[in-house]
Amino acid sequence: MTPVPDLFLAMMKEEWRVHSTIFGSVGFALFPAVVAIFAFLGSLTLPLFLDVLPYAAVALLAHALFLLMGVMVGSFGLMGREFMNRRFGQASLIAYASRSLPVSEQRIFAAFLVKDTVYYILLYVLPFTVGFAAATPFISLDPGYALLAFVSLSLAFLLGLSVVCFLSTLCARSVALLAGTVAPLAVLAIAGYRTGMIALPAVLPPYAIFVDPGPGPLALSLLLILVPAAVSVLFVTVDYPDRTKRFRNSLDPLAGRLHALGSAHFIAKDALDLLRSEGGAGKVIFSFLLPLGLVWICLGVLIRFIPGIDPLVVFAVLLGVISATIYNWLTEFDSFTSYAFLPVEVSEVIDSKLKSYGIANLLPVAVLVLAAATAGGAGTFLPALAAFLSVSAYTLAVTVYLTGLYPNVMLYHAGVFLRYVLATSPALLLLIFASILDPLYAFSSLLLILPAAFLIVRGRTKWQAWEMPRF
Amino acid sequence: MIEANDLTKEYGSVTAVNGVSFSVAEGELFGLLGPNGSGKTSTIRILTGQVRPTSGSARVMGLDVAKDPVGVRRLVGIIPEQETPPSFLTAEEYLRFVARIRNLDAVDERCDRWFDLLEFGDKRDVLCKDLSRGTRQKLMFAQAFLHEPRLALIDEPLINLDPIMQRTVKDFLQEYVRDGATVFFSTHILDIAAEICDRIGIIHNGRLLHTGRVDDLAGSGRHLESFFLDLVRGDAGA
Repeated sequence: MTPVPDLFLAMMKEEWRVHSTIFGSVGFALFPAVVAIFAFLGSLTLPLFLDVLPYAAVALLAHALFLLMGVMVGSFGLMGREFMNRRFGQASLIAYASRSLPVSEQRIFAAFLVKDTVYYILLYVLPFTVGFAAATPFISLDPGYALLAFVSLSLAFLLGLSVVCFLSTLCARSVALLAGTVAPLAVLAIAGYRTGMIALPAVLPPYAIFVDPGPGPLALSLLLILVPAAVSVLFVTVDYPDRTKRFRNSLDPLAGRLHALGSAHFIAKDALDLLRSEGGAGKVIFSFLLPLGLVWICLGVLIRFIPGIDPLVVFAVLLGVISATIYNWLTEFDSFTSYAFLPVEVSEVIDSKLKSYGIANLLPVAVLVLAAATAGGAGTFLPALAAFLSVSAYTLAVTVYLTGLYPNVMLYHAGVFLRYVLATSPALLLLIFASILDPLYAFSSLLLILPAAFLIVRGRTKWQAWEMPRF
Repeated sequence: MIEANDLTKEYGSVTAVNGVSFSVAEGELFGLLGPNGSGKTSTIRILTGQVRPTSGSARVMGLDVAKDPVGVRRLVGIIPEQETPPSFLTAEEYLRFVARIRNLDAVDERCDRWFDLLEFGDKRDVLCKDLSRGTRQKLMFAQAFLHEPRLALIDEPLINLDPIMQRTVKDFLQEYVRDGATVFFSTHILDIAAEICDRIGIIHNGRLLHTGRVDDLAGSGRHLESFFLDLVRGDAGA
């Protein structure tokens, strides 16, 4: 029987080779260096913003960020029964090993979890804390905090990953089981938090480890990570395509309704891809609404540290950034190689994705309306809406320009990621700080529309001439 | 219909196609033969404008494949070796999707014709991801001929098909060519080439070693298999 360590090593090599084949070994190997440099530079600026952003708030944000990253890494691939196919696609062979080799789904999934844990900690958490460690002498912090941060941030990442794996396993077994488990837990957590019976560190124990290291939060963190992970491994189920799905022709009726937009059949195909792929609405919950919920909760906490901040405007900016990941969904099931033998141009496919993106953005707009209604922020709704639309368009344009139709892989190229961060973060930070001064300054975000249009035009031309490297 | 002049394609340090020149006339059924990795698929990708040649040029149906790749793909039918239809469309939806891209009329009739000919009408409402490999190959075959092109370029046309369907497809290709159309296909299954091709080319390590009529080979008393093996082994030992 193939031991898990062997599977793990093979999957690590496989993941490395998939990325390095596309970007070149150096291009991909430099990705952690870019993360470290940004963490270093970001840490150096912390004293400048100490008055508005205390270290405790930064620590909370960092832990929430890595929790979110764990959620997104997990949810990206682990959409119930189809995750093996979607996660690895045709480029991977190991994920299909249980079809041809005597390797159980549990063993493959266990190796897959260990691989994701090690791979993404090496890719994100370690470089982040190395960058932070390098900055500590310059910002009068004990370098020991970096070691502590490595442990607590790793646990935050694993907590997000583990919980999503657990939920996806429940979902794969039964949607009713998922709802029956999540709903009572969510109600209890919200009620406990609202009544003060549950404090924030109890909800996010890795953060508690960083703030006040001790065996209690460490044990709680490990419990919350290991138990859901173990349950998800033991009860994992993989739906190989032995269940035939039949549908009446929906492409033509849908394309007919979208006719006025042009490229209607491409948009209709995008819609059918999203609706029919495994997970369905679950995809939206896991990879979009769940992170947004976390952001909203964190903003609620952050307000205590930064008086005067308008949560709706800041939420709108972050919503715009997260909304750009909708483009990842739209390209996840599609590749230009599927069109390369048809009379279709890359720019035509990109245009259709942009239209699909525009339609899909009705969802985040609805979220923004809901957030405004919940927070009683009707007064700043218009600047928030302007900020959301501009940031969403700009972040999308940067993504399209830098990654074409391949955002799910290209953003792991060190150079691409560096340019992505450099192109987006200054504008977004400036916008957030301006809106702290006065929420009405959020209207200035409309200036981003011009560079967004420019980048889209350039991106269409650039990707027209690009050839996908062959595996 | 096809004119290839000194085509070369390099992927990094690997030369997949190395100075290949040949032509295919209207009404020919031309088979490009070669071992795995010999450059057959790269040649078809160049001829259909899916990749640009590193050097050399090619014209397909009068169009320069590097300058007007979409124009070429509009005219010809292509069956790629590895591509599968989109996972979350049904077989019928995929054909309709291709028909819309190609601005075809009488879509119902065109779809029905291929479902009937290749005998997979009972799978028309099944998601492509749930189709067997053989049925996916039928679907890819149908999409390539949906617009009744005068030239079809096919990478391994019979792969994944059962013997009955292989016979159907071979008969169709021969009849298609008799009606004046042209077929260019690649394969490493020599029996297929010997049975249905008018002319063949043999490619190895990216270089075209031979082009000629199948009849001439038979007339000289040589079997295609022994000729192919001698040529390729001789080239490998050279």
